[in-house]
Amino acid sequence: MAGSLLSRGRRYVLLLLLLCGFGVVLFRLVTLQVLQAAELSSQADRQHQKTVSLEGARGTIVDRHGKILAMNVEVPSVFGVPTTVDSPLKTARQLSPILHVRTDELERKLRQDRRFVWLARKLDPEQGRRLDRLSLDGIGVVMEGRRFYPKGPLLAHVLGFSGMDGEGLEGVEHRYEPYLHGEKRMMVLQRDALGHTVFPKGMMERSPTPGHSLTLTIDEVIQYIVERELEDAVGRARAKSGTVIVLDPKTGAVLAMAVSPRFDPNAVSALSPDRWRNRALTDAYEPGSTMKAMMAAAAIEERVVRPNTMVFGEHGRMTVANTVIHDHERLGWISFAQVIQKSSNIGAAKTGMALGEHRLYRYLQAFGFGQRTEIDLPGEGVGLVRDPKDWGRRSVASISIGQEIGVTPLQMVSAVAAIANDGMLMKPYVVSEIRDADNHILRQIPPQAKRRVISPETARSVTKILEGVVTDGTGTNAAIPGFRVAGKTGTAQKIDPRTGTYSASRFVASFTGYAPADNPQLAMIVVIDEPQGDTLGGAVASPVFSRIGEQVLSYLGVPSNAPITLAMASR
Amino acid sequence: MKAVTVFLGLCLVFVFVWERVDVVRIGYQIERLKRDKTVLERQRDELRVKFSTLSASDRIAKLATEKLGMSLPQQGQIIVVQSRPSGVHPSGIALVELKVARNDLPSGRF
Repeated sequence: MAGSLLSRGRRYVLLLLLLCGFGVVLFRLVTLQVLQAAELSSQADRQHQKTVSLEGARGTIVDRHGKILAMNVEVPSVFGVPTTVDSPLKTARQLSPILHVRTDELERKLRQDRRFVWLARKLDPEQGRRLDRLSLDGIGVVMEGRRFYPKGPLLAHVLGFSGMDGEGLEGVEHRYEPYLHGEKRMMVLQRDALGHTVFPKGMMERSPTPGHSLTLTIDEVIQYIVERELEDAVGRARAKSGTVIVLDPKTGAVLAMAVSPRFDPNAVSALSPDRWRNRALTDAYEPGSTMKAMMAAAAIEERVVRPNTMVFGEHGRMTVANTVIHDHERLGWISFAQVIQKSSNIGAAKTGMALGEHRLYRYLQAFGFGQRTEIDLPGEGVGLVRDPKDWGRRSVASISIGQEIGVTPLQMVSAVAAIANDGMLMKPYVVSEIRDADNHILRQIPPQAKRRVISPETARSVTKILEGVVTDGTGTNAAIPGFRVAGKTGTAQKIDPRTGTYSASRFVASFTGYAPADNPQLAMIVVIDEPQGDTLGGAVASPVFSRIGEQVLSYLGVPSNAPITLAMASR
Repeated sequence: MKAVTVFLGLCLVFVFVWERVDVVRIGYQIERLKRDKTVLERQRDELRVKFSTLSASDRIAKLATEKLGMSLPQQGQIIVVQSRPSGVHPSGIALVELKVARNDLPSGRF
């Protein structure tokens, strides 16, 4: 009996111990699995996983005929997991000739107390294949998108470029970043119980959702013609730089935009930002006599003058606000049309003064000076148009001849295009369509009229005057055989930064106009900065307009006005 | 009767196992095809870039001038004419523009 009691007592004790044991286990289980679950789970992830973010594939950029200007290609990038590399020196020696990176640099990276380190990124496909064959412990290859600009420097200032992590840094690449960038993907490296890295299977897969594609208004052939002629002109004139913009005046679509010197967006790391700045829309310059075209439009619209109104040229010298305005020839009585054709400063100043500061200022604003054109490119400047209350006694005369005012080449060509477009100012733009990865159109960007600046009658009247500039005036070198051309030359002195006065040796030569004058298909500006030797706009910039205009009109299939005889022969 | 039931049961088990094996096999096949697709898409992209690089206007112009001895037409050598003033013939047929090169070569050939 006593033995039975003892036995029962032992059983209770044993049961109690077991219950306590289970209780402890249960308590620990609830603590680990419920109360500390989130914290422990993330701790485990931290210990066993390493997550690396890889950028998604950027969308393609094509010209208006679908020719590729920028696209992503997946190329290999190499990473190391230093904690699992047995012999950093030996591995570095094997990698060095393939990656073209010094052995000591690779070894230093592989000796770091880190679980992930990039060794070389965005290599050529052949380098990736050689690495695959080596199959080194602790070294992995992952495919990353690399941006290629297959046309090299062509259109570089408009396209811009993207950085190592695939983000748009300049130009269209930057402006349309929200559309172009692809969905990011995460690469997860895991370690097993022994601490060995398990390389993920999915890392060779493509980006899940690539970015949208952009169709530009730019025409690759026109852009090529423009860049070739601009480079040639800047080289011949030994100029500091040059800019050409070609617009479709009826829509505002930019057909070409070139800046010299050029750069290759495939290799920008060694270049300074000054080299890739799109001067066509960032840099303001004093336009000089090209401004007379807008002044003429304002004066005719306001009925201050008519093309045949006679203006006295003061024999080439006139005093305004105790300063002297000169003409390059001693002119007497000439018509207003001749004022523009001969680029008379005195005639233009007199007309501007008759127009008055308030009306002149109103038309400067209406033509878009002193404000952004709102082109879809980053970094656009506003130029410099002071408020009339800050104008001096000579300002009206000065602005009428393109001094005391700063404009960008884009503002100037937009204003001239408004005259070509029967007085309607259009918003310039470079992207016409946005498409998704399946090539479905997501958004179409239509031409956008900003405002009417002058009446169609005034525009026709100004066109006739500007045609005279090319047939009988200062811009005869801009003539295109077989086509009617309207335009205006400009030669502006630059301000010497040392003295703050106009330099006698540094000029900006320009020509802006459109063709054919009776049915404009293109509006263009040519700006050559600091040409050496011959510095006149009519001698430096006008021939560039002519050469580009002839080739572009031929390419566009615009029929000539000139009578021709076709002789047919048969054998 | 019992033997038939066992046989049918075995058949069912066999069909089930065969189906699972086939699903796994096709799964592997799909994975392999996906990998092939990825490789082919990558090759396509590389070829597109290559095509685009090789067809660049400046390269074509360089080859034409340096290797084939061609030259750019001089001012006035290309004339585009319209066959009729209006773009549509009275018959309703759209007229095409005629592009001709002016014959300035001494040999009398275009």
